[in-house]
Amino acid sequence: MKLDSQNLPLEYSTETNKMNILGFWIFLSAEIMLFATLFTSYFVYVDRGVGSGPAGAEIFELPPVLIETFLLLTSSFTIGLAVHAMRIGRVKAMIGFMVVTLLLGAGFLSVEIYEFIHFYHIGATLQTSGFTATLLTTLGTHGAHVTFGLFWGIMIIVQVLRGGLNARTANKSFIFSLYWHFLDVMWIFIFSFIYLKGMM
Amino acid sequence: MKELFPLKQVNGYIFSLLLTVVALSVYFFDMSFAMGLTILIVTAFIQAGVQLVVFMHAGESEDKGGIYLHTIYGVAVAILTILGSLLAMIWGYMI
Amino acid sequence: MDFLDRFSIPPHDDPMLYASIVAIGLVSIAIVFGVTYFKKWGYLWNNWLTTVDHKRIGIMYIISALLMLFRGGADAVMMRLQTAVPDNSFLDAQHYNEVFTTHGVVMIFFMAMAFIIGMMNFVVPLQIGARDVAFPRLNALSFWLYFAGAMLFNVSFVVGGSPDAGWTNYYPLAGTEFSEHVGVNYYNWALQISGIGTLMTGINFIATIMKMRAPGMKLMKMPMFTWSALITNLIIVFAFPVLTIALLMGTLDRQFFTNFFTTGDGGMDMMWANLFWVWGHPEVYILVLPAFGIYSQIIATFSQRNLYGYKSMVASMVIISLLSFMVWVHHFFTMGQGAVANSIFSITTMAIAVPTGIKIFNWLLTMWRGKIRFTTPMMYSVAFIPLFTIGGVTGVMLAMASADYQYHNTMFLVAHFHNVIIPGVVFAMIAGLIYYWPKMFGFMLNERIGKWAFWNIVIGFCLSFFPMYITGLNGQARRMYTYSEASGFGPLSMVSFFGALLLAVGFVIIVYNVYYSFRYAPRNVGDDPWNARSLEWATHNPVPEYNFAITPNVDSEEAFWDYKKNGHDLFKGEIKDIHMPNNSGWSIILAGFFFVFGFFFVFHVWVGVIIAFLGIIGCLIYRSFEKDDGHHIHKEEIEETENKFGGAK
Repeated sequence: MKLDSQNLPLEYSTETNKMNILGFWIFLSAEIMLFATLFTSYFVYVDRGVGSGPAGAEIFELPPVLIETFLLLTSSFTIGLAVHAMRIGRVKAMIGFMVVTLLLGAGFLSVEIYEFIHFYHIGATLQTSGFTATLLTTLGTHGAHVTFGLFWGIMIIVQVLRGGLNARTANKSFIFSLYWHFLDVMWIFIFSFIYLKGMM
Repeated sequence: MKELFPLKQVNGYIFSLLLTVVALSVYFFDMSFAMGLTILIVTAFIQAGVQLVVFMHAGESEDKGGIYLHTIYGVAVAILTILGSLLAMIWGYMI
Repeated sequence: MDFLDRFSIPPHDDPMLYASIVAIGLVSIAIVFGVTYFKKWGYLWNNWLTTVDHKRIGIMYIISALLMLFRGGADAVMMRLQTAVPDNSFLDAQHYNEVFTTHGVVMIFFMAMAFIIGMMNFVVPLQIGARDVAFPRLNALSFWLYFAGAMLFNVSFVVGGSPDAGWTNYYPLAGTEFSEHVGVNYYNWALQISGIGTLMTGINFIATIMKMRAPGMKLMKMPMFTWSALITNLIIVFAFPVLTIALLMGTLDRQFFTNFFTTGDGGMDMMWANLFWVWGHPEVYILVLPAFGIYSQIIATFSQRNLYGYKSMVASMVIISLLSFMVWVHHFFTMGQGAVANSIFSITTMAIAVPTGIKIFNWLLTMWRGKIRFTTPMMYSVAFIPLFTIGGVTGVMLAMASADYQYHNTMFLVAHFHNVIIPGVVFAMIAGLIYYWPKMFGFMLNERIGKWAFWNIVIGFCLSFFPMYITGLNGQARRMYTYSEASGFGPLSMVSFFGALLLAVGFVIIVYNVYYSFRYAPRNVGDDPWNARSLEWATHNPVPEYNFAITPNVDSEEAFWDYKKNGHDLFKGEIKDIHMPNNSGWSIILAGFFFVFGFFFVFHVWVGVIIAFLGIIGCLIYRSFEKDDGHHIHKEEIEETENKFGGAK
């Protein structure tokens, strides 16, 4: 889908806006490498770093992971709807979708925290082995991104509520949506190559 | 109400849920490691592609060349790093 | 007192260390006193500390880089002095470990990186005809994060002790078991903080080069330095996140007792080496590609010919950028990963010599039949070609995995990488600094004194590093603080020491040159003192705040040359109001919080960490709500400035 160059949506309406969006894409490509490094470590430690601690298959549980996946996939859908609502000028709907997105994100985080506590109780802590350290660091980095996204999203909702939709807030909202989708993509890789591969 | 739920995004969402279900097959069915990994790789990358194109609108702006170039370059370097590290740290000792 | 004990440095018998601590204290006090006495705080704050002007940020980077050059250089001279004679006791083993560690870290991260980023900052927006970079505020933040990191690293010298596990910081040596004091924590946090800054620079410059080129400047019409900057920043964006994660894992290991790089419970010490070099090898090309760019500009200018093989230059850099991510294992061929893995990385490593070789031939062919003028920048460039080729050839020797078992961790390796980095990067940066000096300050550096410095540096370089090839092949290991007389390394090491002294003299002469030229050089150098070719010379010296009064219209890769000689019309249109970003103290304050955060984290002072963290969050929230639309420089003001320079262009 191409944008109509005569009639650009608000978030693309100034040169600064376009630059911000491109800059954020470049940042996301750096984030790909950040997570790739974590995956690199994970793939190495999952085979050779278990030591005397538990292996992945012994500690992973499907239900919480499925809930997390469903919540995050849905939140990625709703933030997409928020951007769509923004583009057709429906500010209230947009804010509604953003609130839903953040709530789903918070739900995801609570399940993840539950999962961490579970890991702790069955003796898979940060200090247990190279494998558990990498697992928890990878999940933790993703979780920290989601946490940061929650606060960022709140900031943006406040700004849209206060100032309405303009070139500045539309641009911020769009960039936030890119960030949120990206977190979903990273989760898909975590879901597939850490959890499912581990339980296969 | 209907205009708030564009067909493309709804379809994208349903499609990504379907892909998740397909990926889950590696858990529920007994299959070889290679087969399972292939399924995971295929579904994960299609999922990522759906997000990128349908939800993130990667191809809509005048900078789409730069955006795709960066993403592809990033993925390429990521794969090189993962495979190279596995080669050095694990496979190299086995072959 | 237990609380305070952790801040003390580990005991040294060395009075010199305490003397230098006192010296640092006195110099800092003198600077603060001096600025206060001359009532320059306001000027400093308004014009430099809060600036978002890419030219000033570039100059601040370069000043910091030069300071760090002398800091790292002092380390180097101390090392050569210690090893000048057998069984020397000038430094003890621990002190020597700290000195070679800080030498490496300071030179790579805080000297070379800062120098190239400073050059990019100053030159790139001018070369593409932009007013500033894409994200000026972020650019200032990049600089201040770098500066915070550099200061944090240097604080380790006086509070808590310097890192001592080498600049590569290999585990388990760098783990808490063998490196108990906080030195390596400093390493982790200083590099983490400045690394974040570097990553931002990478994003910033890619966006700048992709979006802000002057009308008509297609990608294939960009000056070569801008091309090299684009490729470099691409590598930065993909390489630095790896370092971020590796440092995070190191921090977790040292401060939260995880088992990433330990030798028990599934830890893999060599995983650090792996991740470090996944970042570290691209880093080599991050350093050398901008240097190649600078040489391309200088060689074309002073051969008075256009650059030979523009397209092949670009293509070779693109290939280098990809290959640079495929070679890292050659840093640890001796790990034991077997012949197949080693062969693969051996081949990719040798392959990278091909595009580099193409570039060498292009420079030679640019000079071929050119009317060469041997100015100081050109002399550095001409010296670079053979010296760098020697470094490259020894690099190919090291790339052969089986032969590397002999060279690994010897002085041969030390000679090799100094042989590529000094002629490759340091010469380029000095040459670039001299070349762009009139653009920065509006006067030229003295050529006669400059050539004195050149000969000292080149001869000093050869004398200090070529002997190491021989002692290395004879088996002298690197990083050993002393050796016996029977080893026979004595005489050649003494030659090395003299070379180091000559190098030091050369750098002091450069500083003297700055002083001399500042006092005596004429100020009416005009806008084009070198008879240059690319767009950055189409504006005034020194460059006004807004760079170009009228946005240039570019039609070729040597826009200024074609404007001068072939009648291209660069400046169509007329002077209009120019929109510029506002200065802001936000960047320096945020970086200050990062410094405090890092410092307290090093020492496990969690209260301080939390307070600094809240400060960081506060700054981010402030920025999120801030509305800053910049300001306009009015037409009349621009016309006035332009008239002072003798008319608008």
